[in-house]
Amino acid sequence: MSINRREFLRGSASVAALAAMGDIFFNISNVVAKESMSEIPYAPKEDVLIPSTDTMCVNFCGIRVKRVNGVIRAIYGNPENPQNIGHLCPKGISGLFDTYNPYRVKKPLKRTNPKKSPGEDPKWVEISYEEAFDEIVKRLKKIKFENPNKFVWQHGHGKYLIGDQFPKAFCKAFGTTNVVHRTTICEAARHVSDEITWGNHAFLPDLDNCNYFINMGANPMEAEQWARWLDRKIIENKERGMRYIVVEPRLSNAAAKAHEWVPIRPATDVVFLLAMGNELIKNNLIDEKFLATYTNASMLVDNDGKFVKKDGRPLIWDKKTNSGKPYEGDVEPALSGSYNVDGKACRTALEIFKESIKDVTPEYTEGVTGVPADTIKRISKEFGEYAKIGSTVIRDGKFLRYRPVAIHTFRGLSTHEYGVQNNRARQIVMMLVGAFDAVGGMHLHDVYKTPKYMEPSKCEFPPKRVDLQESVYFPHGTHNVAQQVALTLADPKAYGLQYEPEFMMSYATNRPFSTSDIKKQIEGYQKIYSVVMDTIITELADMSDIVLPDKTYLESWHWSDTRWNLESKHMAIRQPIVNAYNLKYDAFDILMELAERLGILDKYIEGINGAWKIKLAQGRKYTSNEVVAEIAKANGTDIEYLKNHGLKAKKLHSEDIYLKGVEAKFKGPGKPKMNFYAENLVLTAEKVKETVQKNGIKNINTSDLDIVYSPLPRREHAFPTPHKEAKGYDLYLITYKRMYFNQSNNAMVPLLREVAHDADENFVAINTETAKKKGIKDGDHVYVESRAGKIKIKAKLTEGIKPDTVAISYHYGHWSHSIPAYAKKGANPNWILELHPDRISGMNSFNDTKVKVYKI
Amino acid sequence: MKFGMVIDTKRCFGCRACVAACKTENIVQPGNHWNFVLEYEQGKYPNVSRIFTPMNCMHCENPPCMKACPEKAISKNEHGVVMIDYDKCKGRKYCIAACPYGVIHFIDRGKAFYPDGQKIPYETLPIEAKHPLHRKKPGITEKCTLCWHRIEKAIKEGKKPGSDYDTSPACIKVCPANARYFGDLDDPDNEVSRLIAKKRAIQLNKEYGTRPQVFYIV
Repeated sequence: MSINRREFLRGSASVAALAAMGDIFFNISNVVAKESMSEIPYAPKEDVLIPSTDTMCVNFCGIRVKRVNGVIRAIYGNPENPQNIGHLCPKGISGLFDTYNPYRVKKPLKRTNPKKSPGEDPKWVEISYEEAFDEIVKRLKKIKFENPNKFVWQHGHGKYLIGDQFPKAFCKAFGTTNVVHRTTICEAARHVSDEITWGNHAFLPDLDNCNYFINMGANPMEAEQWARWLDRKIIENKERGMRYIVVEPRLSNAAAKAHEWVPIRPATDVVFLLAMGNELIKNNLIDEKFLATYTNASMLVDNDGKFVKKDGRPLIWDKKTNSGKPYEGDVEPALSGSYNVDGKACRTALEIFKESIKDVTPEYTEGVTGVPADTIKRISKEFGEYAKIGSTVIRDGKFLRYRPVAIHTFRGLSTHEYGVQNNRARQIVMMLVGAFDAVGGMHLHDVYKTPKYMEPSKCEFPPKRVDLQESVYFPHGTHNVAQQVALTLADPKAYGLQYEPEFMMSYATNRPFSTSDIKKQIEGYQKIYSVVMDTIITELADMSDIVLPDKTYLESWHWSDTRWNLESKHMAIRQPIVNAYNLKYDAFDILMELAERLGILDKYIEGINGAWKIKLAQGRKYTSNEVVAEIAKANGTDIEYLKNHGLKAKKLHSEDIYLKGVEAKFKGPGKPKMNFYAENLVLTAEKVKETVQKNGIKNINTSDLDIVYSPLPRREHAFPTPHKEAKGYDLYLITYKRMYFNQSNNAMVPLLREVAHDADENFVAINTETAKKKGIKDGDHVYVESRAGKIKIKAKLTEGIKPDTVAISYHYGHWSHSIPAYAKKGANPNWILELHPDRISGMNSFNDTKVKVYKI
Repeated sequence: MKFGMVIDTKRCFGCRACVAACKTENIVQPGNHWNFVLEYEQGKYPNVSRIFTPMNCMHCENPPCMKACPEKAISKNEHGVVMIDYDKCKGRKYCIAACPYGVIHFIDRGKAFYPDGQKIPYETLPIEAKHPLHRKKPGITEKCTLCWHRIEKAIKEGKKPGSDYDTSPACIKVCPANARYFGDLDDPDNEVSRLIAKKRAIQLNKEYGTRPQVFYIV
């Protein structure tokens, strides 16, 4: 039985039982008597507040949901949650619209139009769960028999299906390695840069003690992970006296609250940071003790760029004995200089760095970045002086290093072809002043958790995974390579993949919408049988074969992911408030069903038990309610407590923040050292070259490996491919997030579309002068064109952007057939972004493209 | 107790949480805003600033809307809160014309949140499950009530209005910038009184003589 689109969209509005059928017709006289203020007493049958966790974005704020007569009436912040302390953004507040969205998927759907492309009507047919499961299981059984790797699982920020552990366990039980998260369309380069430098990722600036805070392109006042902590900490500490500088091409809201907005040319931040390093060294504002004691800046490097070693241990130049020795025992490493060890000419890593940046003067940097030379000199000097190198403070009776300066970033340094190197430059500047894990500096999370990240890559070939993670293509792509899946699907042989994936299952992700160079993504996804579990028919679902409805975060049980901060960490749950469309299953239940039908249930349960340290019995399925209760128990807390409070918090102490990181892992002789100099990248480059030559790989450039895998960031990293090649395109294009939408998934929430005067439709933000020169007026429709394509969009003139740069927000321009017109306004810039992924981490390049803008 | 607010525009970064919180708390239909944020840029590149000014009803001491209403549908209660009586209001719109802050809206017809008209359960709660201040109907005007339904409940329960999330208007404690304050202007020790004094908070459009109870740190 087929249904037409109108019928489908209206749907069977089987809403929760207790919801009243109020007035549908707007007849005023009908309504007047019935809606009297005074005559009818206020007496709801139910009025409760239920604590839970929000997932409208990945801050995972604590919420309290008000339910009246079985209906979600409002969503409030939870003041007990130590991360957001009751604060919420408009997305979290609007979550009830997301749950009651009449355009949600309410029944399993099957595609009957085999053509898959934007604009095609999938001609959905409602099917039963049985039919959906039968179809899926039939195909998966065949694949499991032939080669389980042909099954690819993808998920997004999604609702973190209980911490990613469930899809991982399912895929392991099935036998596929192809579990792909979305981090390379988020901030993977930042993570990989951290990992290469200190063996794990994530950091937070110690803002309560910081006096000079440089934010390079992060935007916690419009989006970003940790926004609900960073935003108030920035505001409060600014009032305390912290100097707050924002370096980014656009006057973001984060920049609007800064003392100083430093407009910079997109992708050139690395040179700004190298110039800072140069100035710090020139003015002798460097923490020599930190560099020598905690980092490998004093390690000796030969003319091949590799460490000079003895018995496998890298050597320093000991000033006491005037000889090359490992950094052990009673030695005094020389930080700078050229030496000779056993006839081998070598220099310290710091010496190499100094020499490599000696021409990165403020004047040179002004030419590359557009930032005035005087500004660079001043900020570098201020940063170095505010760092108070050598000083200490006492906290809880302990002497701690005090360096109240921090350089923070998120997308700004990361979403580039040289994203890892840009981030490495930031880390090096921080190391130069010794601000890591110092009071007022940058706290590093779980330092040295995975030492192998600081080692060279295995450069796998042929790749085992469809996303080419940690293969010769993305040797340090340790966070999956989300955008690569589609490219590999389009031509597996081009990447040496020894099999052809046949089935893709996606959960809460919208790859074709969220990735650069969309048409290439679509090409790939046209070729595979695709099942999507989601609450709405996204652009990915629009191209899929079966769509299975999922429950929203207000309808299901989850052990929630949470965000920590420098005062506390917490565990939290999400619990069901309503079941708006009477869904039988959520994604978790569906996985259980499939596992049972595929005969892998016991293996799946085994995997879950291992991941969560719980003891579920074999031989039966579990509901998410049961599993969450078990996880709570395993974490030493009672599910009833969590149902009543939503979370359980633990205070952190100064010891946790300042003494468990670099102090414990890297300090002093005989201990491993932070990678100031990433020698592992030099060895990776060698392996890449060797692997390419040995296998005759045609699609990897080996002429620039010394630049791509440079052990130190260098000027070349400020010139991504489009900057070098796109002649005739005069403007730089950057994309950005807005407060009102999270990625692609809240477009249908009507409240968010009217919450601000310009939330409903996006525009290309263009400098007023630049627009005038092009004859473009505010509100004109223009083309924005790159080498990858062109889009039509409205222009908005502003003084708050660099004249050579334009910016477009990417939450807009939906094209899914099943998304109503009101939610499809605007244009998606991802169509025209050139894709040149970071060859270290696989990070999708979003902010490197060059364009021209002209009136229609 | 005379209730008022302080809004710190130096802290506000324009997230619109207050706008969304007010809308959902007070079931304000699409197109109407009891609470909105004005946003504008000043200066020339690169010396540019962006200013955010959240605005809601000022609960004036001398409310022009109250004076203008021919039906006497607007009153100011003992705690200084200015409210529209939806039963008395006949939609004459004199209040909208009189208000210099543009914070009163007319409900011309009932509008569903979702554009195709389908109302969701949140919009179709039975009348007894809606507080009288949320029993709005087409043909009348509406505006911020300082969440009197929450304040009144606090007073009834013996709690101090403004002391926590639930005893304050919905827009106050939700603000991620901690830019909104609510309290008793008659009490010099209250946070709002102290902020007005210490940060020299001002009233908007003072020249109209409305004497707002909402103050701004600029």
